[in-house]
Amino acid sequence: MLAGSEAPALSWRDRLQLDPLDIRLAIMAGVLLVMALAFHTVTGQFITPENLYNIAQQTAVVGIVAAAMALVIVARQIDLSVGSALGLVGVLIAFLMYSKGWHWVPASAAGLAVALAVGLYQGWLVAGLGVASFVVTLGGLMSLRGAAFLVASGKTQPVMDPLFLMLGGGLDGAIGPLPSGLLAAAFSAWMVLRAVQRRRSQRAHGLLPRALWVDVLVTGLFCATALAFAAAMSAYRIGDKPAGQGIPVPVLIWAVVVAVVAFIVKHTRFGRYIYAIGGNPEAALLVGIPVRRVLLQLFMLLAVLVTVAAIVAVSRLNAGTNSLGMNQELYVIAAAVIGGVALSGGSGTVIGTVLGALVIQFLESGLLLLDVDIGWRMVIVGQVLIAAVVFDVLFRRATGERVA
Amino acid sequence: MSSALVTMRRVRKSFGGVHAVDDASLAVHPGEVLALLGHNGAGKSTLMKVLSGAFMHDEGEILVGGKSAVIRTPTDAQALGIETIHQTLALADNLDAVANLFLGRELLTRYGMLDDFAMESAARAVFRRLNPNFRNIRVPVRSLSGGQRQVVAISRAVHFNARVLVMDEPCAALGPQETQMVHDLVRTLKAQGVGIILISHDMPDVFALSDRLCVMKNGRTIGTYRTADVDEEAVLGMIIAARLPSGVQPCERLSAEAG
Repeated sequence: MLAGSEAPALSWRDRLQLDPLDIRLAIMAGVLLVMALAFHTVTGQFITPENLYNIAQQTAVVGIVAAAMALVIVARQIDLSVGSALGLVGVLIAFLMYSKGWHWVPASAAGLAVALAVGLYQGWLVAGLGVASFVVTLGGLMSLRGAAFLVASGKTQPVMDPLFLMLGGGLDGAIGPLPSGLLAAAFSAWMVLRAVQRRRSQRAHGLLPRALWVDVLVTGLFCATALAFAAAMSAYRIGDKPAGQGIPVPVLIWAVVVAVVAFIVKHTRFGRYIYAIGGNPEAALLVGIPVRRVLLQLFMLLAVLVTVAAIVAVSRLNAGTNSLGMNQELYVIAAAVIGGVALSGGSGTVIGTVLGALVIQFLESGLLLLDVDIGWRMVIVGQVLIAAVVFDVLFRRATGERVA
Repeated sequence: MSSALVTMRRVRKSFGGVHAVDDASLAVHPGEVLALLGHNGAGKSTLMKVLSGAFMHDEGEILVGGKSAVIRTPTDAQALGIETIHQTLALADNLDAVANLFLGRELLTRYGMLDDFAMESAARAVFRRLNPNFRNIRVPVRSLSGGQRQVVAISRAVHFNARVLVMDEPCAALGPQETQMVHDLVRTLKAQGVGIILISHDMPDVFALSDRLCVMKNGRTIGTYRTADVDEEAVLGMIIAARLPSGVQPCERLSAEAG
């Protein structure tokens, strides 16, 4: 492929160190770009600060849960109860604040405690007793929705604490143009630093870093996206507010969640064991991985992120209702699957769930701008999910990951 | 005879009423290869999984270096210097060779994070020793050849300095060249004083490599002999019909050793 290779033993792929997963993510990013351009061409108002701001904000709740759901699916499990759990936790937090007069911090802590208790219970059934997670969480899907109703007898619980409402975005829920710009700049600087450090560390250990231009291109794309995003968010003004909005708080929360989960995957034993269990559960046991403990911890991690998502969702809605998070599990799982997480386990990335969640929201938003009604929107989103999986199957076959 | 590295004495293991291992005893000494033979379902793999910590035995005892040992998990076995190359190789197909080598025993930085670079350079050193042509160590092991996958499984035993190495059918899926590599490795490790338990169906392998052989039938160890003292026909007689060879002295005196 590349002319004048001085080390013939290394194929071009070795030298670029391009994972099929990286290629897949690049394709997805391309799909997002094409979607944005296509919708913008037709509607004339897709790539506007306002629309992008709303999309980013609306995707956060699904994206936060999807980051952990990806790992659950990688470990060959599933959690169908996340939507209902989100409803229960959200209503509980709102109920404690509105009907019981609690401050939002202890109310959220109580919500977290309930989520962890649910995670512990379901996780124990799955990891300890070996009950199929599909069944356990299908039961949870129903029971927890019922529990969400019971908390406040089905009554809507409005929330008014201004600080709490910032967490969901909205009028005052953004950090302003200057901090946004600084944050994007800091992120870019960190990305560059990390790339430089990795290359230096690889050399120090006698390993060959990948081609310089690949690192420059990848790092450059990440930096450009961050800076462009901050600029777009800062360009959005609501009503007659003097300054632009900047990055919405829920998007920041989402970004932190993604960073933390990605860190867990790449740099901790826990993360590696999740993938090992998904790749070959029997081997994981034979080499001494504490499979049960890892699965239990995984359900606890999901519980934490469901709580975070519930806080954002209640804040966005300014209220907790017993229908909060209804059908959300479908969007969360769809985001993970569209983002390249294989239901057969062992394969998937956290950054993929970000792109997957955005694909769904781009579609929803674009079709809404086109005045496509709800029925057709659901039909189309469903078929896109299937198309993504078909692509996934063909892609894995082409890269030799699947035999049949 | 030097004292045994590992002694398994009167070990039993049943699964829901089925006696997979029903009174099995064996010992392996430093620098020797003990072949463990028997039909499919004779209990060889189960016995070895007891030793490697995959199952806890119901009865009997295990001595490591002469001391009674409790092996509840694979980690316990590893801590005692017992490494196992399972028949299935126990590889996570979606992870690369480096991750598989250290699976369950990752090297960590002082902050408790995975030390990827240290693992990669250590892995390169081991793989270079086992097979200099093995370079694509950063791709998922599913895309490796049978021999390369075997190298990854074996590399665990080499890197972690096994004192006792259990090999369950290590050559079953290998071509002649790769089989030769495994043979060379067995001889090298043996020369270093490692005690090796080799499960094999392949008689040429058994006679080429083993010092002693132990035959199992219906979950029992029925006899242990010096490989040089018996021929293939006698061994097959033991495996198939539990017929002990006449006029040959069994070499294992476990009851005597147990004292």
